[in-house]
Amino acid sequence: MATISNDPSTQVNVALEVESLKKSFGGVAAVDGVSFSVEKGTITGLIGPNGAGKSTMVNLISGALKPDSGHIRLDGHEIGGLEPHQIGARGLIRTFQISREYPDMTVMENLIVSAANQGERLINVCFRPSVGKKRDRELVERALHTLVTFGLYPLRNEYARNLSGGQKRLLELSRAVMADPKVLLLDEPMAGVNPALIEKLGEHIVGLNKELGTTFVLVEHNLEIVEKICSKVIVVALGATLAVGTMAELRKNQAVVEAYLGGDVRERVGS
Amino acid sequence: MDIILGYVTTILVFFFTYNIFTLGLNIQFGYTGILNFTVITFMAIGGYVAAVLAMPKAPAGSGIYYILGLNLPWPIAALGGVLAAGLLGYLIGQIALKRLRSDYLAIVTLATGTLLYGLIGNGTSIFDGWQGLFNVPQPFAGFRTWTPLGYSIFFTIVTAVIFVFLWLFANRIYKSPLGRVMRAVRDDQDVVEAFGKNTFKIRMTAMVLGSMYVGVGGVLTIAYITALSPAGWTTGETFVVWAALLVGGRGNNFGAIVGSFLVAVVFNEATRYLPQIPAHPNLIPDIRYVLIGLAVILSVYFRPQGVFPEKKNTFFEVPLGDNSKTIEEHLAGGLSKVGEQ
Amino acid sequence: MSLFFLTLGFGLVTASVLSLLSVGLSLQFGVTNFVNFAYGSYLSAGMLFTWTFSAKLHFPFVLATVCGVILTAILALIVNEVVFEPFAKRRKSIFYMLIVTFGLSLLLDSILQIFYGVGFDKFPIKQSAAIKIGPFDFTGVQLLIILVAVVSMVVIHLLLTRTSLGKKMRAMSDNPDLAKISGIDTKSVTRATWAISGALAGLGGVVLALNTVYFETTTGDSLLFVIFAAVILGGIGQTYGAMLGALVIGVVTEVSAVWVSSAYKTDVAFLILVIMLLVRPQGIIASQGKA
Repeated sequence: MATISNDPSTQVNVALEVESLKKSFGGVAAVDGVSFSVEKGTITGLIGPNGAGKSTMVNLISGALKPDSGHIRLDGHEIGGLEPHQIGARGLIRTFQISREYPDMTVMENLIVSAANQGERLINVCFRPSVGKKRDRELVERALHTLVTFGLYPLRNEYARNLSGGQKRLLELSRAVMADPKVLLLDEPMAGVNPALIEKLGEHIVGLNKELGTTFVLVEHNLEIVEKICSKVIVVALGATLAVGTMAELRKNQAVVEAYLGGDVRERVGS
Repeated sequence: MDIILGYVTTILVFFFTYNIFTLGLNIQFGYTGILNFTVITFMAIGGYVAAVLAMPKAPAGSGIYYILGLNLPWPIAALGGVLAAGLLGYLIGQIALKRLRSDYLAIVTLATGTLLYGLIGNGTSIFDGWQGLFNVPQPFAGFRTWTPLGYSIFFTIVTAVIFVFLWLFANRIYKSPLGRVMRAVRDDQDVVEAFGKNTFKIRMTAMVLGSMYVGVGGVLTIAYITALSPAGWTTGETFVVWAALLVGGRGNNFGAIVGSFLVAVVFNEATRYLPQIPAHPNLIPDIRYVLIGLAVILSVYFRPQGVFPEKKNTFFEVPLGDNSKTIEEHLAGGLSKVGEQ
Repeated sequence: MSLFFLTLGFGLVTASVLSLLSVGLSLQFGVTNFVNFAYGSYLSAGMLFTWTFSAKLHFPFVLATVCGVILTAILALIVNEVVFEPFAKRRKSIFYMLIVTFGLSLLLDSILQIFYGVGFDKFPIKQSAAIKIGPFDFTGVQLLIILVAVVSMVVIHLLLTRTSLGKKMRAMSDNPDLAKISGIDTKSVTRATWAISGALAGLGGVVLALNTVYFETTTGDSLLFVIFAAVILGGIGQTYGAMLGALVIGVVTEVSAVWVSSAYKTDVAFLILVIMLLVRPQGIIASQGKA
């Protein structure tokens, strides 16, 4: 909690800031005044027990839901209450818990269509078709690079619906990369993924973070991978921030241990 | 010979106009996933509006009533009709395209169709009620002295040219970045939205464009037949367009042509020659609609992608012949070495 | 003022008819999660079947209605088995389900027209004299319609709250995946829902025909969007919302005749639908994740 600082000098480094965010459904508070901040260029984990309000937070930050009160700032600019596409266009891209590829488009198309500013305007179709073609060349080159990085190159002309579950996860991440996000909000990217692929996805996230400087917010159940790749972890419970720190610090925090895992904790937090 | 030629031209005009309807629905449903359950209403609005713009004022005391009657030249009247159809699409879009489930749009289109059908039928002073408009002046009729057959052939050519233009334009949209984003919206609207694209705007573009396409078909229909009444645009006709698109191939404009030909021309014309049963004058049209309904259901069940499925789009590719380099090496050289496939 | 009460009386009768129809549609939507565009055909089928039993086979009217309603329920069941079940098995997206029900409406309507023709008809029953109740004048038939609707709504309420089937239906409506995991036989619940939905459509069709006196094969389809308006107004998939929506739409459309020509009363329903979609698309009673 103490990490939320009002000192302007540290604000500069904050990519995403959530302050006293509230949302309730039919009188029941799902998110009840949560506050946290994510520093630029970091991989930050967001964990919490089931029903802690994580999904609602993701939906609030990405604009799928409108907050009742509170602030969400991206690079210091308020984004709370904006439409999802406005938030996406400002550089905060989210992924979904269940892989949601564009099934009837090829892997290549899935990537290209995810880039910003493709010139997807009717006026270009009518009068300036060259605008799209020129941009397409750049996008194809980027997409090919990305596909090679993620090992999806051989599948580039396959319909996305034919991919395996693990390949779809890789596709989701590579698609998000194409959008050049400032902040990438990953909603349980490891859900239903086998251990080998979890490892691989983790490596990709670290790699992207190092190479492109993308800020990651990782909402995740798998604490092992969170510990491995996240420099800071935010624990939420009952719709509010419970604690912030590294995984090692959190494990020593009795409140976290109890709230997060209930009784016999130690074996599940793993040590 | 003249009779056969006259028949052929009529069939061709019919074929091209249904094709244009199907292209319009393809932009809406095949590209973007918009469920328009009242395609034929857009045809009617386009046709009616063009007609009342082109017609002179209704003669007083004739028992015929309609709005406007501006006696405008056909190109302007036609444009007015197409814009009116687009405007209707825009209004429906404003009501139902804003982040609602696809069911709602389907409901609103259907409701609008039912509403306008009743309003236009009962509201005798709009487009002359159930009686409908007739004696609509034909475009370019005063251009020269036409023989009836000569005019039919001329009109068929005009229709064909308009169709080819609209077909090429629909293809161009499909291949453009806009068409790509439309297809992404069709596949998963929420994801496109999360990637920073205004899906409302994209769906609205498709809605209005498709409506205008259908409006063009409507203008051509009324200009050729020179009459239109509510009996000419019953709900059943919307299914003909849907059946044509679903049989031919959603998302594939070539499929749309084949579907229009099979459903709107072959099937419609073939059933026309079935013997009439005097005791049941409606039996043949009813059986026709039973078959159209079946075609819609069965094609969705057995072959939702249609006879001609959407084509797979491949992009610029590394030349396959050159195996000496890895893909990484190719990419390091930039796209100069990457050809178009 | 008398005109107001007269139309309010009509409104209550129309609301009664609509309540049967909108609850039938909404219950099925809640459980299966797709809109049935062929619902108008079920409605027409109900009134036409009943007409056959009463006018052709000379059954007493109540018995004819019971037979007609049962037959409509069977029709809904058969359609579910033959058409929707195979599609559900193939996990077709909601898109295609809507197109299928849309195509089905044309199919069923055309089949009905082959058997019943296109002309108007009416039930062979006598209109009764008006009875004065407070400020209202009701005919015996109108009172019967209100009674049928009220009893049906109570039965539906008891079904949903007291029986295990009703509880399962609500569970499926709230969360289909959870319902399946918790061991509910979703297939048989779906079947039961279709039967109930079909029966309500059939009964609604009969009381609609009683109310308007004359009817034809397309009557169901022309009323379809008024039913949709009531269902959306109440909150799609919400049974009690559908009742409320029916009451509002029924009363408002009829009372509007005080100010606008009664020829435009369905247009008033459309207007309510549009305003609702613009202002509060989730309906008066919102259900999560269904808007």
